[in-house]
Amino acid sequence: MDRSIQPDNGAIFKNKLKTWFSQPQNIILLLFGIVLTFSTVAPIVAIVKDTFQIHPGTIDQHLTGRVDGYTIVNYTDLFTSRLAKANLWTPLLNTIILSVLTCVISILFGGLFAFLVTRTNMKFKKYLSSIFIFPYIMPQWTLAVVWQHMFYSNKVTGTADGLLAAIFNIYFPSWWCQGAFPSAMVLGLHYAPFAYILIGGIFKNMDANLEEAATILDTPKWKIMFKVTLPMIKPAILSTILLVFGSAMGSYPVPHYLNLTTLSTKYISMNSTYTGEASILAIIMMVFGVLILGMNQMSLKSRKNYTTVTGKSGQLTKLSIGNAGKYIVGIIFIIITFFTSIWPILLFALETFLPNPGDYSFLYTGNFAHLTTKWWVTNENITENGMYGQSGILYNNTIWHAFFGTLFLAVVCALIAGTIGTLIGYAVAKNRRNKWANYVNNVAFLPYLMPSIAVGAAFFILFSNEHINLFNTYTLLIIAGVVKYIPFASRSSLNSMLQISNELEEAAIIQNTPWIKRMLRIIIPIQKSSIISGYLLPFMTCLRELSLFLLLCTQGFILSTTLDYFDEMGLYAFSSAINLILIVTILVFNTLVNKLTGASLDSGIGGK
Amino acid sequence: MRRVLSTILTVSMVVASLAGCGGSSTATTSAAAETKSAAETAALQDSPKEAKAEELTGIDAIIAEAQTMSLEELAKKAIEESNGKTFYGVGNSSRGKSALPVFIEYLKTIDPSYNMEFEWQQPKNNKIFEQLTSDSLKSEGTFAMTLIQDGNQIQSKMVETNILKRFVPKEWAEANGTTPVEYKGFLPLQTLNKVFMYNSTGTATYTNCWDFVYDGSHPLFMGVDSEIVGKNFLMMLTSDKYATWLKEAYDKLDDTKKAYFEPTIQAMQSDAADLGLGSNGAYALAWIKLWVNNYNEQTDDGPICNTLVDASAKDQAGLLVYSKLRSVEESATVSVNNIKVAAYEDGYTGIGGYGYCHYLFLTKNSPLPWTACAFIAYMTCTEEGFDAWGKDMGGYSANPKVAADVEAKYSHSTGGGDEFPAKNDRGYDWWTSEGKGELVLEDPAYCAEVSFSVGSWIDVLDKYTPGA
Repeated sequence: MDRSIQPDNGAIFKNKLKTWFSQPQNIILLLFGIVLTFSTVAPIVAIVKDTFQIHPGTIDQHLTGRVDGYTIVNYTDLFTSRLAKANLWTPLLNTIILSVLTCVISILFGGLFAFLVTRTNMKFKKYLSSIFIFPYIMPQWTLAVVWQHMFYSNKVTGTADGLLAAIFNIYFPSWWCQGAFPSAMVLGLHYAPFAYILIGGIFKNMDANLEEAATILDTPKWKIMFKVTLPMIKPAILSTILLVFGSAMGSYPVPHYLNLTTLSTKYISMNSTYTGEASILAIIMMVFGVLILGMNQMSLKSRKNYTTVTGKSGQLTKLSIGNAGKYIVGIIFIIITFFTSIWPILLFALETFLPNPGDYSFLYTGNFAHLTTKWWVTNENITENGMYGQSGILYNNTIWHAFFGTLFLAVVCALIAGTIGTLIGYAVAKNRRNKWANYVNNVAFLPYLMPSIAVGAAFFILFSNEHINLFNTYTLLIIAGVVKYIPFASRSSLNSMLQISNELEEAAIIQNTPWIKRMLRIIIPIQKSSIISGYLLPFMTCLRELSLFLLLCTQGFILSTTLDYFDEMGLYAFSSAINLILIVTILVFNTLVNKLTGASLDSGIGGK
Repeated sequence: MRRVLSTILTVSMVVASLAGCGGSSTATTSAAAETKSAAETAALQDSPKEAKAEELTGIDAIIAEAQTMSLEELAKKAIEESNGKTFYGVGNSSRGKSALPVFIEYLKTIDPSYNMEFEWQQPKNNKIFEQLTSDSLKSEGTFAMTLIQDGNQIQSKMVETNILKRFVPKEWAEANGTTPVEYKGFLPLQTLNKVFMYNSTGTATYTNCWDFVYDGSHPLFMGVDSEIVGKNFLMMLTSDKYATWLKEAYDKLDDTKKAYFEPTIQAMQSDAADLGLGSNGAYALAWIKLWVNNYNEQTDDGPICNTLVDASAKDQAGLLVYSKLRSVEESATVSVNNIKVAAYEDGYTGIGGYGYCHYLFLTKNSPLPWTACAFIAYMTCTEEGFDAWGKDMGGYSANPKVAADVEAKYSHSTGGGDEFPAKNDRGYDWWTSEGKGELVLEDPAYCAEVSFSVGSWIDVLDKYTPGA
């Protein structure tokens, strides 16, 4: 018999396929790669299409003389008309300044705080760690409103006097009150908890042996910081930049309240008569997002290994900042966080007892008789009680309906986005050199880099047509929320998964431990705090998200649109009460999760 | 990934570009035609009754028939149509939500077994137009009707595109001395007024509408981009009637102020000619330019009101919804008496503010057209139907009979008494009369006509930044 053995290509392929599908991470990547490609690309295509479409009653109809069809006139008009500077270049410059400044402030403030909490013997850590995340819990623009109440003055901003002007006759300059600086400060403070959570997570798990080895070699402290410590937290810093830059760029309410013209505010203001051109602004913001993502990719390619959690023993020694220093630094941060976290809450609470919105006159007249509980307890809206036609907070159906709707939305979004993101993070970490894994990772992250308003608009266009109309439904909000918030979980998960050495899971594989068990017994417990963050961040963000949902539902449908409505109307008692409700809700959930799982947003880092 | 994305983007851009090129040949020829009188267009399209009744179909036929019926007859039709169903309305005013249950109660007085669920939506910002546009694509829409503001966009985006249908109740027309067929405009539920006010705790006085744009004045105002009716106000100033009012007010200024304004007015002469404005157009453009260059933009009228009534806002002025004064609570530093309504002051000259309307329409694919007609008739023809709005000062029913009933019930004209004279609402007739309130009233057709001539001219004006 002279029969040579022929390879059965079909069988080989089948076996390869079988092997490939036996890896859970491959199935995860395939499935979510397809789904996320659609959910990410479809909004982009919708917006791109919108830039060419003629919209009745807008500039493109005027310039083309047609009421439908397609044209490039939106591009030519935006880039070449005499409005180009006002509509494009100035907002673009302001947006870049705002985004960069916000990144710098949040990383410096959040990173320093993370270092102090995790790597030093600073006192009051538990309290500070809890309180530090408060600005992120609060909707970002409410800090802007607080800024107005504090620093505005008749003399400088041409409005009523704020607290500092009224009580102490202190008048802050215009650049402090309005424009890029206050906008970046507010956003920087708002996003500093991002940096704290992401950078702190790495600091906490970092084995101090590395730094100690450098110390033994007599390396100067600054060199240890720049050559050992900072490179180890580089992924977290890059993740923070990615998250913060995109968020700041897509933030509408803060620059809107603090009088800074950015691409986001311009997008809204141009949308009525320059609809197609507004969509081009959205495209420009997306391009920035993709550029940032590209820069991050290039940076990551150069790195070798960021494993900080291995099967080996490790220890975390605390840097001593001195017996007095540990108290002094702690007290300094107590004071700082008082103004960034406690003071706004006190103002919110106070606001709900003022006779008129922003009327703090009792503070400098000493007349407490004017304080009122009407904003809480008025149970009808027929009589004119100085309530602007609203029932009191306790009886206000709009507020409570929105509250429960928001809670439902946030829980569903967090569960779906958190689970998908965690799985993606895991799968990408397992296949980190794989191109498809890289693609899935990026395509999952891309929606975060797109301006929230533009994503909202795109989903509105996608789901408002002759076949389907999901406007003002939870379904639409959940779809948009999940797509937008997956990056929170995927980044958080990826960062933590990259730290886990494969040897841990391999040991379990040798013992034939099923994948589910490996996840539940090994992977998730090790990186519990990061994974819980992947659920809590979407939950918290969703609770007070405005820009994304602004165009997808009506006022009063969810809490953030209701809050914004009251803030815009100047009914600060209602918006402050909603803020308090949000803060209490998040704290309750944070505590609940902490009790049930032993993890929480901050406790994994420095809370205990 | 970048390659994939860039390919998708490139393909979509190329396809769209080609489509755009294909259609661009008609662009230049019809660019001029686009400016054809919006009024003509509106008159042509919005009157189903102008076609012979027997030729009308669908919603147009229903509207034509409904316009011949009384409220009670419409109510019976509504009961037949919507009993046990859900009614969806959308509007710029949240009070549609308060009006609907009252309407349902009214229908129950005719048929006690009647019941209807309802949902009233109030979209944010400008979204109402996109929402109505997307809903119009369906064979049967979600929304039965709308209560909508901004005549300019209604004209160009909703009426000229045939998305909204006008229905004029018979009794409303009769109360206004006309008939549904003869009446050509949109159906207004009410006119709201935004008026000039100023904080009077300081020394500044505003005795002429030009004082609000005089040197050093930075009135608080919602931005023209964030609330388009504000831009409509500015565009309306260039119409002959209001430009003349501005000219007359200017003539009454003293020489110092005239000397201040004169260079700007002269500089505007050529722009006025280019924009095809009337003989006093330069006065309007000068006022607009100075206003845009100087107003201090705020997010809403609520914060403007909160600011102006505070004693610390010495000499500040603003242009805001009059009704905001109703909810001011007296305190140590806040008082309605800290402000003055400019037009109420003796010797004041010129425009006192502007008026804009909430209009009522059916959607072209209304799922409950009879119910929508009955609801519209109920709101515009009865005091109870208008009560959600009527209880507040500063909103005037477009039905004189209803307006009189509202005044009889709420006495808005004496609502502030001697204690708070600024809250004594002098009513629609006073506010809109020459030599009295001199409100600038929105004309949708005119606004749509000049939207991209005067409107674009306004867009390029520099805006004020405090402290800059």
